[in-house]
Amino acid sequence: MLSRNFRLQKVGDFSWLKKHYNFEKIAFSIDELIILDVTREGRSINEFSAAIKEVVKNVFIPVSVGGGIRSMSDAEIMLNSGADKVVLNTALYNDRNLILSLIERYGSQVIIGSVDYQIENGVKNVYIENGVSKIVENLEKYIENIEKMSIGEIYLNSIQKDGTGQGYDINSLSSILLKISTPVILAGGAGNHNHLIEGLKQNSVDAVATANLFNFLGDSLPKSREEILNQKIDLARFSTLDSFIK
Amino acid sequence: MKVAIIDYGMGNIYSIQSALSFIGVESEYTNIKENIFKSDRIILPGVGSFRKAMQQIQFLELDRIIKEAVYERNIPVLGICLGMQLLGNSSTEDGYTEGLGIFNGIVTKFNFEDPGIKVPHVGFNCVNNPSDSVLYKDISENSDFYFVHSYKMSSTETSGIGYCNYVMNFVASFEQRRVFGTQFHPEKSQTNGLRLLKNFIDLAR
Repeated sequence: MLSRNFRLQKVGDFSWLKKHYNFEKIAFSIDELIILDVTREGRSINEFSAAIKEVVKNVFIPVSVGGGIRSMSDAEIMLNSGADKVVLNTALYNDRNLILSLIERYGSQVIIGSVDYQIENGVKNVYIENGVSKIVENLEKYIENIEKMSIGEIYLNSIQKDGTGQGYDINSLSSILLKISTPVILAGGAGNHNHLIEGLKQNSVDAVATANLFNFLGDSLPKSREEILNQKIDLARFSTLDSFIK
Repeated sequence: MKVAIIDYGMGNIYSIQSALSFIGVESEYTNIKENIFKSDRIILPGVGSFRKAMQQIQFLELDRIIKEAVYERNIPVLGICLGMQLLGNSSTEDGYTEGLGIFNGIVTKFNFEDPGIKVPHVGFNCVNNPSDSVLYKDISENSDFYFVHSYKMSSTETSGIGYCNYVMNFVASFEQRRVFGTQFHPEKSQTNGLRLLKNFIDLAR
């Protein structure tokens, strides 16, 4: 099962998503929502933003959006469609001016730098363009470089662990994590609540992300949150929208 | 009931508008004096640079309009995030910039010697409700709200301040007669935030 990459497994379009997932409800099990457009060809920023508007209606948590954002105007469209932050991966590497202009206009907090890496012959290589192109710098050097631009957060994703459900790549990251002074969202590999707990207990990990549990295991998100709270990890507590309406 | 959300080109207001519409309140994104004066509540939103925001506000003469609305027309105002900071006296962001001076507070950067303490302060964190609070009516003590900021406000005022702690205490919210501010984003703070917005809407003038 290690080779299956759920992140890129097609499950349905946005209307399918809306029909099968009640985001208003799911929102009460998570602190933030990240929506990534992984379309490889024929991306349309306008279609994506229209979909975002629909999905985030009545979702009152921070929403980050990424995939194909290449210009100020792309970012502006997303930020006017209910996104609070943009997730940048390829542009983070090859368009420093865009990063700096975004920070100047919206502040550092608006950028989540997404970093995809995989370990090859003991070297942590960084990939851009949907995990297709390898760049020259290794992970440590690359993170050092992007931290100089003072972005808001770093979304650190292990390509090898992503979609496996076998847990985060914590062991090989621990020394790098300690050097990062930007808030880190750990991604890639979570398959159950124990993985989330492991991630959160790691020094210098500020948040854990999962697509796996969310998409494939029924009501495991609310249960995971409960389990994490049972471990005395301090997560926010909120009541549901139903209780608000009453 | 109509809320004017002040438009000075730096708001990220989609979610503020959806939150207001969720609690059944009409809002308008505007910088027109007449519309602001006709509104029942004013929200000053904002993300980005303090200095740029003040330049825009002054350029559009919104500083005078907001002050007249609050002081002479008794319209309650709520500043959110950068909007709250703008209501204060000054900020050290990009040098020194004067704020609107409607609330007695100054804004400085989080500055920690320990590199393990990260800036921005981002995520849900809990707030100590001030006593006799209007904003936190029916919201339990130490409820969680969503923060994302690198600059924080401090104030010598003692009443009506809600504090949050991120290594140090800072002003998470203030309330003084018609002047309100939250460093956190109520529109991004699940039901706690919706309730707070509703309290702002429902307050007696």
